[in-house]
Amino acid sequence: MSALLDIRDLRLGFKGLRGITEVLHGIDLAIAAGERVALVGESGSGKSVTARIILGLLQEARAARVSGAVEFDGRDISTMPARQRAKLRGTEMSMIFQDPTSSLNPTFTIGRQFAEVMRRRQPEMSREACDRRASEMLAEVSIPDPARVLSAYPFQLSGGMNQRVMIAMALVNHPKLLLADEPGTALDVSVQALTLRLMHDLVERHGTAVLFISHNLGVVREFADRVYVIYRGRIVEEGPTRALFDNPGHAYTRALMSAVPRITGAGLPEVPEVSDDFLAPMVRHTGGAA
Amino acid sequence: MSSVLRILLRRLGISVIVLIGVSMLIFAIARIIPGDPARIALGPNATAEQVVMIRTEMHLDEPIVAQYGHFVADVLRGDLGTSLYTNRPVTTDIAEFLPATLELVIFAGILMVGFGLPLGILAARHRGRWPDHVVRVLTLLTVSAPSFVWAVILMLLFAFYLPLFPVAGRLDSAYDITRVTGFLTVDTLIAGNFGAFLDALHHLVLPAVALALSGIGQAARLTRANMVETYDKPYIEMAEAYGFFPSRIARRYAFKPSLIPSLTIIGLDFAAMLGNAFLVEAVFAWPGLSRYGVAVILRKDLNAIMGTVLIIALTFLVVNIIVDLLIAFLNTRIRHSTRGAT
Repeated sequence: MSALLDIRDLRLGFKGLRGITEVLHGIDLAIAAGERVALVGESGSGKSVTARIILGLLQEARAARVSGAVEFDGRDISTMPARQRAKLRGTEMSMIFQDPTSSLNPTFTIGRQFAEVMRRRQPEMSREACDRRASEMLAEVSIPDPARVLSAYPFQLSGGMNQRVMIAMALVNHPKLLLADEPGTALDVSVQALTLRLMHDLVERHGTAVLFISHNLGVVREFADRVYVIYRGRIVEEGPTRALFDNPGHAYTRALMSAVPRITGAGLPEVPEVSDDFLAPMVRHTGGAA
Repeated sequence: MSSVLRILLRRLGISVIVLIGVSMLIFAIARIIPGDPARIALGPNATAEQVVMIRTEMHLDEPIVAQYGHFVADVLRGDLGTSLYTNRPVTTDIAEFLPATLELVIFAGILMVGFGLPLGILAARHRGRWPDHVVRVLTLLTVSAPSFVWAVILMLLFAFYLPLFPVAGRLDSAYDITRVTGFLTVDTLIAGNFGAFLDALHHLVLPAVALALSGIGQAARLTRANMVETYDKPYIEMAEAYGFFPSRIARRYAFKPSLIPSLTIIGLDFAAMLGNAFLVEAVFAWPGLSRYGVAVILRKDLNAIMGTVLIIALTFLVVNIIVDLLIAFLNTRIRHSTRGAT
């Protein structure tokens, strides 16, 4: 299997007053072309920084120390010059953020922001062509009146609407990899479910690989082909979604699953914050992949 | 666009109220300060009859409310009375001195925006690194000294020790330019005299820089502070995630949302330069309204004081209205507020 994204022994440290604090302790993660992979873990476990390293954003931060290989499409991102990394962003890979409304610039119309994104790939594209293409894309995310949305400002649209706009914008340039950092966590559950459904169908149709970052196991189970569980900067369990959910092998994964409140109401589950079991070696599920 | 129009109308309404307030205040103050204007005007050798005559002529023998009534009626007819200092209609004096001040202030305003905003953008884009530190130290320096101090320093450095610029005045006396607008940079161009135009600019540089320096510093610091805040917004991270160039992110994505809060203060700074121009004009012997204002206050020349203050208040209000309109235009939330609401 030739991976679209292949991360090997990724380490990240932040330089502080008292030396370097390591936050990622050697992560291995691979995504095949068109594969949907979830990275699950609690806040502070290193999910979001991993996404930002893949995008090549953290490599540019002065305090960050990144080591290890991040190969995207056969090229190592971490050794690439900053300019080339920037070239990949928005074209070959794109990202969807947590809060759609505040992630869109309030001073420009949706149409204008769409055009800017499209011109990342085709700088000569006329505004009319951009609008036409954007309308098609908005129709794909089931936005009924694309023309109105294109001339609107983000604050004039609902959160769910902005989320669809973000999804459309992220996929308009046909990226090979889509990074979704807790998409729609800021939205209410029903809207979140609806937009995830849209995103699921769309990446399937376009054959886009997705790294889906989340703490929500229910959502992950529906969305991903394969799951990585991350705990304190280490991958603790990895495997196909079915196998991992049916038979969680690592103590932390089990704790994470038991932490999901039941809708039937059995009270809030007790989960220890730190436990020696959580530091047990990584569990890898083999076989059973779809 | 209708909401912009509404803002304009509301501001105009408020401006009228402010102008009435200012006129009452300054009218009252001018009459409270000791000294009889009629006697000051006539000098020490005037007879009692002459004083009484002038007092009647100026309505000074009537109750203060009636005096204010006369004043308002005159103003509405465009008559600001006669100056006891120059013996000319106050409107003539203002028409002569105001353009010099406006030219200076407008030029300083251009410097303030033209240097302040780019410096702020530069500092914010490289926040925490050396360009930021340099800009912050320099701007702190410019805001901490008042403009008349800068006027003296600049004059010493660049007109006296290094005679690069003229020491005083607006134009070399060798040039004879017909007065059309009173703005020498404009009038010289109308006359087609390019040499005189350059000379007028040359005279303008030092006073305008002295006047603008603290404004440049304030505009830069404000822009930087607002932009640094904007840089933490998710939409900037999104722009980075989409691979836009840092310079483009600075100029388009981070600057525009940050300009709106800065603009109000920049507008106020611009208007405040009218007041600061007082001392800069004094240092550079600039024949402007501020110098005239000082002269007439010292002579308790009531009509001229009232006229000068009214004109300065009016300029303040006009600048404020322009700034408000600019903000309304830039801030899409204001511009489109009618859609959701009534």
